[in-house]
Amino acid sequence: MSSPIKRRRDGRYVIRLDANARVVLANLAAQLPEALDARDPMVRRLFPPAYTADDQAAAERDYRELVDTALTNHHLRSLETLVSTAETDSLSEEEFLAWLDAVGSLRLVLGTRLDVHEDMEAPDPQDPRAAEYGLFVFLGELQYLMVELLAEDLPDEGRPEGAL
Amino acid sequence: MRPPTRRRRGGATLPSGVMPPETVPVGDIETIIDQETTEDRPWLVIVWNDPINLMSFVTFVLQKLFGYSKEKATALMLDIHHKGRAVVSSGTRERAELDVYRLHEHGLWATMEQSG
Repeated sequence: MSSPIKRRRDGRYVIRLDANARVVLANLAAQLPEALDARDPMVRRLFPPAYTADDQAAAERDYRELVDTALTNHHLRSLETLVSTAETDSLSEEEFLAWLDAVGSLRLVLGTRLDVHEDMEAPDPQDPRAAEYGLFVFLGELQYLMVELLAEDLPDEGRPEGAL
Repeated sequence: MRPPTRRRRGGATLPSGVMPPETVPVGDIETIIDQETTEDRPWLVIVWNDPINLMSFVTFVLQKLFGYSKEKATALMLDIHHKGRAVVSSGTRERAELDVYRLHEHGLWATMEQSG
């Protein structure tokens, strides 16, 4: 079966998703900004430390002060785009990339909350975590397909100048 | 987006060949040399294995951010996966901070440490 995610000839992206999945995505994405603003422990995974050495505590404080607002706003903008475009037929490239970011953030938050680990088996259907785990798997499938499409545009040989 | 520019505590760098106007007390020279060699050691940007990010996503991010070939990005991703961590870039402290920030934007678990 062909991928449900495609780029049209006019450059816009189409994600084939049923109406129910779109509502679920929008609802999930709409819940996260509050947790981000409140610095809920649940979103800690979105703000990893840069410096971890004992003697770099001051550098880490400086780094946090420097980037936390920008990093929060980056995630908020992506989530807002996902919420506002969840039901539209096609996405601009910018919107598509925002979806990728937002879906990634949601996966990280859900995965952390579920304490996901490699080779983890799906919880039993009666398990209270089963529904959330189902969402986590759904987000992973979506991310996988989005990455598959975007990766086609990257040159296999890389860019000669390297970074940026 | 880029993080705001870090305000440096020191002054501007002199062009090479221009001597600073201040004289340095002899006793301080060793300390200064120590500081300079410490500052010269490159900073390494490390991505750590995490159980959530997809392998294809990690490869994609490394290709996208650093312009690495698919082969190199895949090798780094596999190092991260099997060895728990891999150095993905290195450079000045500012450069490393920017790289760490860009990796954090993409949800990767990245840290930096000075090579030693």
